[in-house]
Amino acid sequence: MNTFMAMPLKRNQTPFWIGAVVLVLAVPGLLGGSDYLIQIATMMALYVVLASSLNLIIGFTGMYSLGHGAFYGIGAYTSAILAINLDWTFWVTMPIAGILTALVGAFLGLATLRLRQTFLVFGTLAFGEIVRILIMNWPSLTRGPMGIPGIPPPSILGFELVSSTQYYYLILVFAILMVFLIFRLYHSRVGRAWVAIREDEIAASSMGISVFGYKVLAFTIACLIAGLAGAFYAHFITFISADQFGMNESFLILTMVALGGTGSIIGPIIGALILIIIPEAFRFLAEYRMVLYGALLILVIVVKPEGLAGVKGLFAPASGARRFSFLRSGFSAECEKVEGAK
Amino acid sequence: MFLQQLINGIAQGSLFALIAISFSLVWGLLRMVNFAMGELYMLGAYAGWLVVMHVTPNLGVALFAGFMVGWIVGWLIEKVAFKAMRGVPHIASLVCTIGFSFFLKETASTLFGAETKSMPSYYSQTAFTIAEANISWLQVLMVAVAIIMMVLLQLLFYRTKVGLAVRAVALDYRTASLMGMKVDRVTSLAFSLSGALVGFVGVLAAIYYNAVNAGMGFVPAIKGFTAAVFGGITSIPGAILGGYLLGAIENLSVKFMSSGYRDFVSFLILIIFLLFRPNGILGKKTKL
Repeated sequence: MNTFMAMPLKRNQTPFWIGAVVLVLAVPGLLGGSDYLIQIATMMALYVVLASSLNLIIGFTGMYSLGHGAFYGIGAYTSAILAINLDWTFWVTMPIAGILTALVGAFLGLATLRLRQTFLVFGTLAFGEIVRILIMNWPSLTRGPMGIPGIPPPSILGFELVSSTQYYYLILVFAILMVFLIFRLYHSRVGRAWVAIREDEIAASSMGISVFGYKVLAFTIACLIAGLAGAFYAHFITFISADQFGMNESFLILTMVALGGTGSIIGPIIGALILIIIPEAFRFLAEYRMVLYGALLILVIVVKPEGLAGVKGLFAPASGARRFSFLRSGFSAECEKVEGAK
Repeated sequence: MFLQQLINGIAQGSLFALIAISFSLVWGLLRMVNFAMGELYMLGAYAGWLVVMHVTPNLGVALFAGFMVGWIVGWLIEKVAFKAMRGVPHIASLVCTIGFSFFLKETASTLFGAETKSMPSYYSQTAFTIAEANISWLQVLMVAVAIIMMVLLQLLFYRTKVGLAVRAVALDYRTASLMGMKVDRVTSLAFSLSGALVGFVGVLAAIYYNAVNAGMGFVPAIKGFTAAVFGGITSIPGAILGGYLLGAIENLSVKFMSSGYRDFVSFLILIIFLLFRPNGILGKKTKL
């Protein structure tokens, strides 16, 4: 219930956000124009968007999705195919990619969001795999396992964005816009409905909130943003293939949200930054990247289920329930408390 | 051709059925799913492979090694992801097993290398031929072993005191605990057993496909879960039926579409059943 109290925007947060924006704007300067470092910064900005969009599903409404990589992929493939086959400009293909992904997301959401959390995870996972299999086995459209090379970079008023710094700013603007959008949504009527659903579905529906409708809305918006991010990614990296959007991608984004914190705006941003920086900063770790991500996810969930900067909401232990009961005994007493509270 | 596919389907179906039983076992006790099931399968396969390559070519020892590794890692997962997480909503446990799934997969891939290891084949000679369809001894063995396992489980659950305890805890853990049962120990035991079962299946699968690699568990685990949902996750006979049906459907589907879509069929069945009949074919009506 604490999260309801903490909801209204604290006034003193604004300078912090402005400072953060100024800082990220200065990144290319600080990095001294190294292409490699700027590319990493660009990927960070992309993952901030992806993690924030998944947080709409996980943190705001309390559902878990393991299909986010697939939505990202649908966006990337849509934009790439339209740009190459029909020669359309990025500014047309990008919104189309977003809208198409949102439609697919809405469809999947309408179908699966009535399921319980556990089954939703498997449902979205199966969906992700179906998308991957379709991409691999539809060579006339997606070139199958060969991937799509030579995706044209976007241009603004006839001026092609080719250097990594220019691309960094483009994606940065996109990331800031998306995070701001999510921030505004969170503090709107819709956001309050989402949080109410996360905290207590039954209470929310008895207050007249259409639980299912708001869940589908959150899922659709998250997919829209993931699709847009996919389009930006495709035109940035210029080569896409199915394995870039598989299970590992969904898992990585999920870990970012879980590590950084579910249900807050800053949480997924922190998570994305940490998980991209770690393997780059410690090169010897790069080989064990995924091992590390797995271990981090286990550690975070066990020690601090809501993540570094998350809100308790979803993972609030029932009052009086004790953690780490394996040190003691008393299964039934604790289960009873949890069941009583939920 | 049809008969051959059906036979392959039944052999594969035994693998799915055993995995599905594991999912049902955990679901019945904890109302939770262990997402790392596929990685227990993979670790079991690696254990079997190590035994066959370095210790003894005896298949029984390899199967036992898979069983034990599954047991130990399953026990560990129960301690961290389920026992330590009591008092926190269920979803945290699921996410923790997702973490385990990736952790174990990537650890195995760093330890043993990313490339696929080849497993020697056993009993690959044709046992008998029916209408041009060849049945290998291995396929006979797989079905036989699966049936023996199911019978043993049935005996364990319905003829022993331990089985009675497991059933009592699954039915109502509160009453069971009030009756003086060590609920924690029973849960831990059943969870380890489910892990061991999957580890055992992993060795069988490694021999059947002649291959072991770190990512091998992902698809069979989802298929095992599909089989469990297909037959009804609350019921063990349902899990068995689901496993065999899924194996048969998947292999017969190759007749109608390209083999690239083989996994597609299972995933589609999963989504369709989750949507329209979440209680499966034999499951009791509960809200999923």
